[in-house]
Amino acid sequence: MLFIIALGAAFWRAPTPTAPAFVPPPAATPSTLTASFSSETLPKVAQWAQAASLTQFPDGRLAAAWLAGSEAGNEAGNEESGIWFSTLGKDGWRKPLPIANRSSTAGGTFAHVRRIGNPVLYAEGSWLHLWYVSMGIGGAASSTLNHSFSTDGGKSWMKPSRLQTSPFANISTLASAPPLPLADGGLGLPIHHQFIATQGEWLRLSATGKVLDKVRLSQDLPTGQPAVVALDARHALAVLRDAGPEPGKVQIATSNNGGLHWQAGEALPVSNPDSPVALLRLKSGRLLLAGNPASGRGSLSLWLSPDEGKTWQPSRTVETAADGGADFSYPALLLSSDGRIHLAYTWRSQQIKHAVFSEAWLDGGQP
Amino acid sequence: MNAIAAYGLLAHGLIFGALVALLPLGGLRQRAALTATALALIAGIAPVMHGTFGTPSLTLLQLALLHLANRAPSPLTYRPALGLLIFALLFYPAALGWGAFDPYALGYQPWPLLAALVPLAGVLWWQRQDVWLIMLAVNLAAYATGAFANLWDVLFDPLLVMLALIIVGRRAVTRVIASRIR
Repeated sequence: MLFIIALGAAFWRAPTPTAPAFVPPPAATPSTLTASFSSETLPKVAQWAQAASLTQFPDGRLAAAWLAGSEAGNEAGNEESGIWFSTLGKDGWRKPLPIANRSSTAGGTFAHVRRIGNPVLYAEGSWLHLWYVSMGIGGAASSTLNHSFSTDGGKSWMKPSRLQTSPFANISTLASAPPLPLADGGLGLPIHHQFIATQGEWLRLSATGKVLDKVRLSQDLPTGQPAVVALDARHALAVLRDAGPEPGKVQIATSNNGGLHWQAGEALPVSNPDSPVALLRLKSGRLLLAGNPASGRGSLSLWLSPDEGKTWQPSRTVETAADGGADFSYPALLLSSDGRIHLAYTWRSQQIKHAVFSEAWLDGGQP
Repeated sequence: MNAIAAYGLLAHGLIFGALVALLPLGGLRQRAALTATALALIAGIAPVMHGTFGTPSLTLLQLALLHLANRAPSPLTYRPALGLLIFALLFYPAALGWGAFDPYALGYQPWPLLAALVPLAGVLWWQRQDVWLIMLAVNLAAYATGAFANLWDVLFDPLLVMLALIIVGRRAVTRVIASRIR
């Protein structure tokens, strides 16, 4: 009898979500902004910085979160790393605030945390979501995904909770690209898995943040760090870092049923030296891809696709240098409500740089 | 307070206490287990176990509680341990990325999985495995609280599989030694 009651309760609790669908992107309209480009570095908070994530509040303000710490490459320095947060005001980027570190994560999850990893920031109405990874033992392959949120614009944050995404000690889930809004009020979060197999995955979250499903972005090659754009309510394109043998190319996966299933597609004619890429749908409907070219992380380049990812043309090189310290990687893209394009990236592993430009600049126009 | 995080911490404290209770401590066994549980929670052993092994399953917690309560013999005998081990050897590689099928994802919307537990419960009832049937009912009740996102996490975990491996391995080693003595 006890078993029958418990079984009935479990059936009642088991989620039965509707078929997933993306929130369709707005109709394509030509951008009227003149050619413009400007860039600045975010305030330096520690010796090294990497992996910025950008979002925009409903009131138009921009916000960024990134990982920073002291003594890069040093274990003690890595352990002191934390996630920093800043907003862009009229007078520039505000003084960054620490929003997550080892102790705050351990205090919220009641678990030992050895170090903190890359963040993903996303504004959804009055909620500001933060996903980030933490590691108990081992390296990136032992990462667990945490979620925290703020309802006061990032001033205070709820204690983090761990998302259950893996059966083996809940390890090896990392996130690096922003989620997509789903039609049911939930979110689809691109993640990747890095233990035994290296592959992209798609995490479907309910409107309350509960994991509803996890789907693999099937690939024949090791891939990671997917970035996804919705093309309409049912179709989406994911671009993935090529973690396979050199020379790498940007890999893709597509979905034609709202993210329920993903199929591998033919790799893009864009080189990828095993480094993260970012993807954005522009106001004109074109797709913008940011990443490192074949020469490596010493250059950061942009490519445009006028036909939903079928063909790609080189657009601009945002930054390039040949010295040993040149590292311009981990791009993050955002289209702000005024039609301007924002790009944040790791600058020489020391700081986060923020570039703002228009579609006309991408097309070769001079500021 | 995050309910699943608090559960994970307390459960690992009890599991550590049950591990200590495995030692041949004679009359001190109960006190040692209680002390070890308190020590695990106060001295940081339980958070390290929680950070390393993740949230323990309800099955493992119930086995630990039965052991702490001195309810011998343990229901995790050779046959269920061997069955769990064989299942885990098939489950974990697929769930961690080998092949296209991800069995772990079934646990997020687990209606088919719950339906599959009905014949399993029937077999347990037929074989009068009342302890396992009650443990399975407690697992399902825990899932029904909504604290667990994935049904698999309620049913088993890597620590439980390691325990099953020790039980199976111990019997295999005993047989090898016995055959050599003969």
